[in-house]
Amino acid sequence: MFIGAIGCEPLQLRRVLLDNSASLEVYRANGGYEALQKVLNGMSPDDVIGEVKKSALRGRGGAGFPTGMKWGFVPKDSPKPKYVVCNADESEPGTFKDRYLMERDPHMLIEGMLIAAYALGARTNYVYTRGEYRYLIEIMDVALAEARAAGLLGEKILGTDFNCEIYTHTGAGAYICGEETALLNSLEGLRGHPRMKPPFPAVAGLYGCPTVVNNVETLTAVPDIIKMGGEAYQKLGTEKSGGTKVWSVSGHVNRPGVYELPMGYDDMEKFILEDCQGILGGKQLKAVIPGGSSVYIMPAADIVGKDVRMDYEGLVAAGSSVGSGGFIVMDETVDIFESTKNLTEFYKHESCGWCTPCREGTDWLVKVFKRIESGEGRPDDAQLLLDIVDNIEGKSFCPLGDAASWPIQSAIKKFPEDFRRKVLNGNGHVKDGLPTA
Amino acid sequence: MSSQFTPNNPLPQEAKVPQEIAVFSPEVEAEMDRHLAKYPVKRSAILPLMFIVQRERGGYLDPPGVAYLADRLGVRITDIWEVATFYSMINTEPVGKYHLQVCKTLSCKIMGAGRVTAKCTERLGIKPGQTTEDGMFSLSEVECLGSCGTAPMMQIGFDYYENLTDEKVDEIINKCQGGELSNGVR
Amino acid sequence: MPAELIKVTVNGQELQVEKGARLIDVCRENGHSIPSFCYYADLALQASCRMCLVRIEKMPKLQTSCTITCTDGMVVTTQSEEIEKAQRGMVEFLLANHPLDCPVCDRGGECELQEMVFDWGNLEERFTERKNYAPEKFLSPIVANDSQRCILCKRCTRVCDEWMGEDAIEAGGRGAHTVIGTYGGWLNCSQCGNCIEVCPTGTLLDATYRHQTRPWELNRTTSTCSFCSDGCQFSVGSRRGEVMRVVARDRYVNGHNGEFLCIKGRFAHPFVNHEERLRTPLVRYKKGGRLVPATWEEAVRFASEKLKEVIDASGGNSVGVVGSPRLTNESNWALLKFAREVLGTDKYTATEAFSLVPFFENLSAPLATHRDIRHAKTILLIGGEPEELQPLTGRAIRQAVRNGGAKLVIVNSAPIRLKQQAAQFIHVRPGTEDAAVLALASPGDADAAARKLGVESDEIARASQLISETAGDCVVLFGGELSAEAQTVLARLPSAFGEKEGRRFLLHPLPLFNNSVGVHDLGFMSGAYNPLEILDAAGADVRALYVAGGFLPAHLEGREEALGKLDLLIVQELFLTETAAAADVVFPAASFAEVDGTFTNNGGLVQRVRQSISPVHQSKPDWAITSQLAAALGRDLGFQMSSSNIFLEIARNVPAYEGLRYPLLKDESQPVQVRHALNAGGDGASLVGNLRDAVAALEASGEKIDQTPPVGHELFKLGVLTSKVPQFHLLAAGNPEPESVLISPLYQITVDPALRRASAAGD
Ligand SMILES: Cc1cc2nc3c(=O)[nH]c(=O)nc-3n(C[C@H](O)[C@H](O)[C@H](O)COP(=O)(O)O)c2cc1C
Ligand code: SF4
Ligand code: FES
Repeated sequence: MFIGAIGCEPLQLRRVLLDNSASLEVYRANGGYEALQKVLNGMSPDDVIGEVKKSALRGRGGAGFPTGMKWGFVPKDSPKPKYVVCNADESEPGTFKDRYLMERDPHMLIEGMLIAAYALGARTNYVYTRGEYRYLIEIMDVALAEARAAGLLGEKILGTDFNCEIYTHTGAGAYICGEETALLNSLEGLRGHPRMKPPFPAVAGLYGCPTVVNNVETLTAVPDIIKMGGEAYQKLGTEKSGGTKVWSVSGHVNRPGVYELPMGYDDMEKFILEDCQGILGGKQLKAVIPGGSSVYIMPAADIVGKDVRMDYEGLVAAGSSVGSGGFIVMDETVDIFESTKNLTEFYKHESCGWCTPCREGTDWLVKVFKRIESGEGRPDDAQLLLDIVDNIEGKSFCPLGDAASWPIQSAIKKFPEDFRRKVLNGNGHVKDGLPTA
Repeated sequence: MSSQFTPNNPLPQEAKVPQEIAVFSPEVEAEMDRHLAKYPVKRSAILPLMFIVQRERGGYLDPPGVAYLADRLGVRITDIWEVATFYSMINTEPVGKYHLQVCKTLSCKIMGAGRVTAKCTERLGIKPGQTTEDGMFSLSEVECLGSCGTAPMMQIGFDYYENLTDEKVDEIINKCQGGELSNGVR
Repeated sequence: MPAELIKVTVNGQELQVEKGARLIDVCRENGHSIPSFCYYADLALQASCRMCLVRIEKMPKLQTSCTITCTDGMVVTTQSEEIEKAQRGMVEFLLANHPLDCPVCDRGGECELQEMVFDWGNLEERFTERKNYAPEKFLSPIVANDSQRCILCKRCTRVCDEWMGEDAIEAGGRGAHTVIGTYGGWLNCSQCGNCIEVCPTGTLLDATYRHQTRPWELNRTTSTCSFCSDGCQFSVGSRRGEVMRVVARDRYVNGHNGEFLCIKGRFAHPFVNHEERLRTPLVRYKKGGRLVPATWEEAVRFASEKLKEVIDASGGNSVGVVGSPRLTNESNWALLKFAREVLGTDKYTATEAFSLVPFFENLSAPLATHRDIRHAKTILLIGGEPEELQPLTGRAIRQAVRNGGAKLVIVNSAPIRLKQQAAQFIHVRPGTEDAAVLALASPGDADAAARKLGVESDEIARASQLISETAGDCVVLFGGELSAEAQTVLARLPSAFGEKEGRRFLLHPLPLFNNSVGVHDLGFMSGAYNPLEILDAAGADVRALYVAGGFLPAHLEGREEALGKLDLLIVQELFLTETAAAADVVFPAASFAEVDGTFTNNGGLVQRVRQSISPVHQSKPDWAITSQLAAALGRDLGFQMSSSNIFLEIARNVPAYEGLRYPLLKDESQPVQVRHALNAGGDGASLVGNLRDAVAALEASGEKIDQTPPVGHELFKLGVLTSKVPQFHLLAAGNPEPESVLISPLYQITVDPALRRASAAGD
């Protein structure tokens, strides 16, 4: 598996290939904790937020919300404690970048969290890591202990009067706990149901106190933003999508891995065929899901020769989105009906069950998929799937319902043949409720 | 008035709600204390404590374990139940010593997860969701474990086994059977 | 302060609404109907059913109106093709795995899901897959559960938590496997059944009523509960002379006389039609002989003749009359009139557990209704265990704290469950509660009192300060632990604290019976003897007793011989109780379900009891029996066989009831409070002095109780009536789960029977 940067100097992945890269020693020898020092040497919290705003950094957890703006929502005059929570729940199918960032460079996350905590006035902070990543929690705990011993955590950090603690917390197997409000419920020891918004976590989050939840990759970008300045960071990418982005590449490519690309990397076809060294076994590209399972699927035709720019705007223009950057490549052997069924089963399994459309809708969808697969397909099944999805999308309590809908909508639209074939293999005659490609 | 309940019906004296409470060694207690110290609210430690109790009680939250948790966290038994049943990594039923969890989500699927599961089934004679009679192995299919770039993969306890092939699966199972491999429970 | 008004447009209609109003309420109040399942007034918002979708201008998606707070200029559409499609979509989802077994579902006819489908009609069923299957089961001796029908609105889990503070029922599992249930599948709680009440579908059901009748066959009568002094009102469902079930008067009304009932109110009604009810009058012709059935004529003749003999021999004043805090005001009034006018005796009393006479004689502030408690700012609870003995009061206190931010101070010898809600818990030695009253009324005695109580004196000072600082209502509640001296001082506590702008004191006694306050009001407790004294006088200056209802076990304990010493004992009862078994004449009396009348609750509300079935067997209302007996003695009590005439007479004679008539009590949503006289005159200081002496004499060596008493420790105790309900025996035995009832008789309809077999085999 490849890990490294393409098209830019490695930033987030600067240290990942060094020996002993997780150690404090290596981190410090390679520029680590300089940003924290800089912040504590005289930047005000507002200065820090200002730089993050200038960086045009957008949240890397999936929603792409501007990070500086999110930090700006935290009320400054609230007498309550404030919290920074790192979202290391990484459960979006196809996404594994946070894992390597934490495994290889945990101090970068600690430094990013400390700076965020400083900017937001938080003194207690948590890293919520999915339960399956137990070994990462162990790595984080070692790094946190190192940092504490070196005066980088706890009381009087770096000799200043900045006090700050970071603790690890474990999830226990629930994709929904990546959704930030569900994550907070889970951190409070409750079932991982999402919460109603408003109030937003920035106002009333963990234990009802102002809280910022940020993805691992978002927080690990912060030290570099401070060091090089927000503007310089933004210039690494495009105007609206600042900096670099770490992509997780999986599926039928010769070189899957973790790739850091500048935002606005040109173009997706080149990325697949050259950087990822082409399709496994010399087969044809069929489809890509570029941003984790929850985004629209892209057929090869929308990629090949289409100059798809890899950033927020570029992917939207190409009919999909960056999401979490989980880049899943599928070759011609993949049946899109089956891949869609696979993802729908995922969403059914992971629906928290709170709201009607997601809970019942995903259950129903899976049943229809299974029936079609067993040869009992009916002519109007594709339309039925679309109808069900239409009743979920935009009506669920949290975005998981939408996330379950989009793969189906786009798959039926872009790969009607795969659905038609399944239905035809069933009872035979089809009156064709399907759109033509 | 019809009623299935009459005073004349002999009453079984046992309710399913646990009367017995698990006890743990001072080391384990200290481990729990370390988790509890992280949070301003005790209940926040429910998941870390569940993992510990599950480990100590033979792999799942048995009734005394549940009673222990409720007591330790100052919550009701039903609060433990509602949380335990929400999270897929918390077992409320016994599982085998080695819990083979094969990822079945898309990237793994298209890279051969089906073969991994089939191989396990062939070797162990159990289907996903089952446990071998000797209680050594359980086999599960799970959703994405964040190993998509090194697919197909499985997790045993907390340990990752990636880029799996038939040969590797064979080797892993051999080692488990020989007791040479950790079961990954920590 | 009038709330600020803002403008909201709903379906083109411009509305002025209070700022902060909830959109769904605004729409509904103005005639724009909005469907919903999970929304329930005064419960935490849930927003999970997604039925209440509306379109709000400038918002990208349809919005759930239950979560929207109105803002100025908001433009809302509640009906359109888009909205209806979404709502139909939700119902389609809810019906997908719903068993559609309406024909065998107890909720059929009053199921909100069914009504929704019925209202819309024209629902195409596109879900043709296998439905998820789960077997029916019992969650407790009285809660049946068919989880297939569940739509996960979670009203049940919210009432359990927010009203009852029990958190006994919760959602477990995840996604499509989410189920409402408990650990171990067995509900260990106070079994109030409020989860059943609020369930919109047939998921949670009254196990005692299952498969007995269809709701539309029931006659529904609004009446008042006969178990505790809270006096919840409810709807009695009867069919052909049998009480089939009891449910809330209105499950959507949140507050007193609304949806709330406890286990007794809801489930303990089967005593009404119980086979052991007395069927005919019984007469024991010779001392030492057996009680044998007799006609009414014969029994009344025998009783009146024997009574005449006693009167002739020893005078009317040798006859004692015993009323009951369980009977209607009307029946007690008839008895009292009989005592005073027919017999001319002053030896009357009622079978009350403790007397509130000193309290009422010194009352210096009005009684607090449950609505007052719910909105109080400070609540002081001295002694008592309302959650077990007056559950509605318990709930009102909890909601006052949880929803209203009230400060609760508890003085108790045990950490009762309400302690979880308390701002301050003063843990005292058992039997010393009097001292707390003394300390509050007379700060100079606080140190001495604290020593008796076994607490630090600043604990009392803190409580005192909380009460002093109250802005709004301060409600003082007390249980039966207080002595006469302490009741006296407590009734005058408001004057000890003095007047303060914006603060109002209200008092709330916690007697045990449904008409405890009524018997006091009528004066039944002010006779020459109390129940113990009257028993002690049996065979001495009391030669005969005429008893309605029975003595309490606590009265008879150690006095088992007393009744045998009487020349004549006449008892009117429902069952052959210990008292009735000793009688010479037993008249079968009608239960609350068979009579008209009134009860007065612990908040001073006088509420109607309405006849829902005709008297069973040959029983008669107590007042009618008394009239008949009087007639046999040649006296007409003048009621003309109508309870409303008796009530008119009460209103003429009892000042607190002045001006009341049945028609004024008609509207249950506007209950009427009687006006108890406030008598705070007299010498307060000497009363405090009496209390000081009493406290000084108190034995203060008892150990404080450290364990929180378990749920049900009072509630599930078997009484004469509850022992007639089989389920109570299980609960009283600790609620073990009987193996034999786990799978109830199956009336489930499943699309595919194979599925049921598969799942039974452990699919
Ligand atoms: C169903 C669902 C799952 C999510 N899972 C994750 C996740 O695993 N990791 C993550 O960082 N964000 C996840 N998110 C996004 C978070 O809700 C949130 O936007 C993010 O943590 C904010 O951090 P960011 O602004 O740094 O991206 C998820 C969102 C949804 C709706
Ligand atoms: S859409 Fe609804 S059921 Fe699905 S995960 Fe979100 S809240 Fe839960
Ligand atoms: S799809 Fe298997 S690890 Fe992600």
